[in-house]
Amino acid sequence: MIFIYSKISEPSANTQKIISVNTKNQINIFIVDDNKVFTLALKADIEMAFKNMFIKIYTFETGESCIERFRRVMPELVILDFYLNSKIADAVDGIRVLDWIKKENNKTDVIMLTSNDHIDIALESLKHGASDYVVKTETQFKKINYSLLNLFKTREAKTEARRYKRLLFVLFFFVLIFMAGIKVVQMFAPHGAP
Amino acid sequence: MKTDETESGTENVCSLSYLSEIMGGKKNLIKEIMDVFLKQIPEELQCINDSVAKADYPIVKSLAHTMKSSVSIMGISILGPILQEMVDLAKEAENIEKIKGLNLKLNQICMRAISEIETAKHSYV
Repeated sequence: MIFIYSKISEPSANTQKIISVNTKNQINIFIVDDNKVFTLALKADIEMAFKNMFIKIYTFETGESCIERFRRVMPELVILDFYLNSKIADAVDGIRVLDWIKKENNKTDVIMLTSNDHIDIALESLKHGASDYVVKTETQFKKINYSLLNLFKTREAKTEARRYKRLLFVLFFFVLIFMAGIKVVQMFAPHGAP
Repeated sequence: MKTDETESGTENVCSLSYLSEIMGGKKNLIKEIMDVFLKQIPEELQCINDSVAKADYPIVKSLAHTMKSSVSIMGISILGPILQEMVDLAKEAENIEKIKGLNLKLNQICMRAISEIETAKHSYV
């Protein structure tokens, strides 16, 4: 485990954030949005903001293509737009893709993207298991990066908690063996021996 | 990059400073996004023109909504309120004449934006 520094793009503060990542684990992120300019810009922005992390980003224009690739990659994170039907009228919407992702792998975090005139969709997506939602505004990329940072920290905290739990279990096991050893020695030791 | 003046003396519709900022000034990335935009926007305009002609409100709404993201990234802020109005009118499925007027403005501004980005692209090679 190493600690690395990752700069979150924030023009005003330009603060350095400390993130701990496991070098063995690459983080796979899916971006699902039917606007290619948006996905490309977001991909570049995330790669720059988290340039010291082992991140691989896949982009998809439809929910269907995301679903098709999901099982093979099992991404840790999906950034999903609600509206995915600008090019294909009967394409599945974000909530349906979200439901499918959660059914397939409940551990995958999903950040839902919505427009400001559809805040009800944002709330609905949380009910369906999304980890966060970001309203598409001028500061959308900054908000997405903060959301990602929070999710990375949460994942890291969970991994650490699992590590300590295992360590505690091993420690408890050795104490148990040690105590059993003492008991055995006491049982077989000749009574009254000097 | 600040909004500058076009050859004709009118103010540019594009401000590429936001794109440059989010791309950290990386010329190759900026150029890649410009290329995608230049390919994508005429296709979207064609679709929206067809949908407006057919008064297909759901498609008009969907396309106008999608275009909002890309025009915002390319700093075409003048199009934000126009596209939002198109979304709102299409949502209510009413006033096709107003939508047609807005679509005309959309086409004109997009043509200017395309021309500006084509010119600006040369400095990102």
